[in-house]
Amino acid sequence: MDNEELVQNMLLELRRGILSLAVLSQLSKEQYGYSLLKALSDQGMEIDQSTLYPLLRRLESQGLLQSDWRIVDEARPRRYYVISAQGKAVLTKLKREWSAMTATMTQMLS
Amino acid sequence: MNLIDRYIDEVGRHLPEKERSDIEAEIRSMIEDMLEERGQQSKSADEKIIAETLEELGDPKLLAYKYSPAKRYLIGPDWYDLYLTTLKRVLSTALPIVAMVAFVLVFANDPLDFGRAIERALGSLFNVGTGILFWVTVAFVIVEHSGADVKEMGVSKSKAWTVAQLPKTPAKRQISVSEVLTNIVFYSLFVAWIVLPPFTAWLRGDESFIPVFHPDLWNVWFPIFAVIAILTLIIEIFKLKIGNWTTALTVSNVLLCLGTIIAIVVLITTQEVFNPAFLATILQNAPTEELRNVATTAKWTVNIGAAITIGICIWDMLDSIIKSRRLVK
Repeated sequence: MDNEELVQNMLLELRRGILSLAVLSQLSKEQYGYSLLKALSDQGMEIDQSTLYPLLRRLESQGLLQSDWRIVDEARPRRYYVISAQGKAVLTKLKREWSAMTATMTQMLS
Repeated sequence: MNLIDRYIDEVGRHLPEKERSDIEAEIRSMIEDMLEERGQQSKSADEKIIAETLEELGDPKLLAYKYSPAKRYLIGPDWYDLYLTTLKRVLSTALPIVAMVAFVLVFANDPLDFGRAIERALGSLFNVGTGILFWVTVAFVIVEHSGADVKEMGVSKSKAWTVAQLPKTPAKRQISVSEVLTNIVFYSLFVAWIVLPPFTAWLRGDESFIPVFHPDLWNVWFPIFAVIAILTLIIEIFKLKIGNWTTALTVSNVLLCLGTIIAIVVLITTQEVFNPAFLATILQNAPTEELRNVATTAKWTVNIGAAITIGICIWDMLDSIIKSRRLVK
């Protein structure tokens, strides 16, 4: 495996790790799958639909999100996700840990 | 619309039944969103654009797999090691026993039918072996998919591993359990093969029974070989217990092997091994004139049998000596 491929693989692993945290952070207001995808991408996090949608489902089954089929603005029915109370608590904890981790990493990588 | 329906249908086929319609609806919604992004709608969009969008989503099967829970192994990495260990242990203890039982059962009825005894033994080895393999695997598949915790079920009940749990002696023993058990089985079978027929005939009061071995051998030689057999069994038990070729064990083994070789050589050079009456009955129907010459056939059989046995003894001796030297290092 050459370097470029190796770098891409390791980046993939890194991104996979932080995906859930990223998603949780964007769902304080309800979104549907595609709008969330755009929101993440606008902020620099590119992600596949086929990765995002199953992830949303998983987070919901873990109790961190709530979902609802809704008709908004006379559009067709869509599934809207929003962070749950438990999700908010978990997110707070994760944010704290994240700050600590990035501080450590920044130091290690400098 | 047809293309989309077919796509969603294909995804659905690989989804768990419970959530299928829900996920299908979600995917349909996702496709609609993607089409809208391109300024299209599913009912009016061009085939080509729909195809492009679906291809962006990729193989429907792979998409379905992303929705299923992580457990795609039959037996996952958590349990695999324990599975292999269990399989090995059970097979290596059960199979020798099974072979022995199958053998003995045939022998008790018909001591001459060696061929059928072997056939039965092999047959039951295969049956029992595959049975064990199957059920152990099934058990572990169930454990894997029931989400049991390795640590709970496990191999160690204590909470944290301490140095005290290190095995005291090197784990790898030179003499495996299955090797000893197999030996014990074969020796026992051999002894049974020699002793059982005349014994059961005597019990039945069967006057017409013809013993295989020469009647002269009974008084002196049989006790000698009985002693050898018993000593061999004792050494096997020590092999099991000690597990490595210590000096004492190796020396005893070598002495016993030498003793066996000497006994065999003396026996075949000084005595008639087979009972002439026995030979006469068996060879009556022999295919060729040469084979019907009782004396030569008997000598021939005895010599080959002795040679094989002596060969095995020598191998055993050398093997134990070599391994004992490895141990010292």
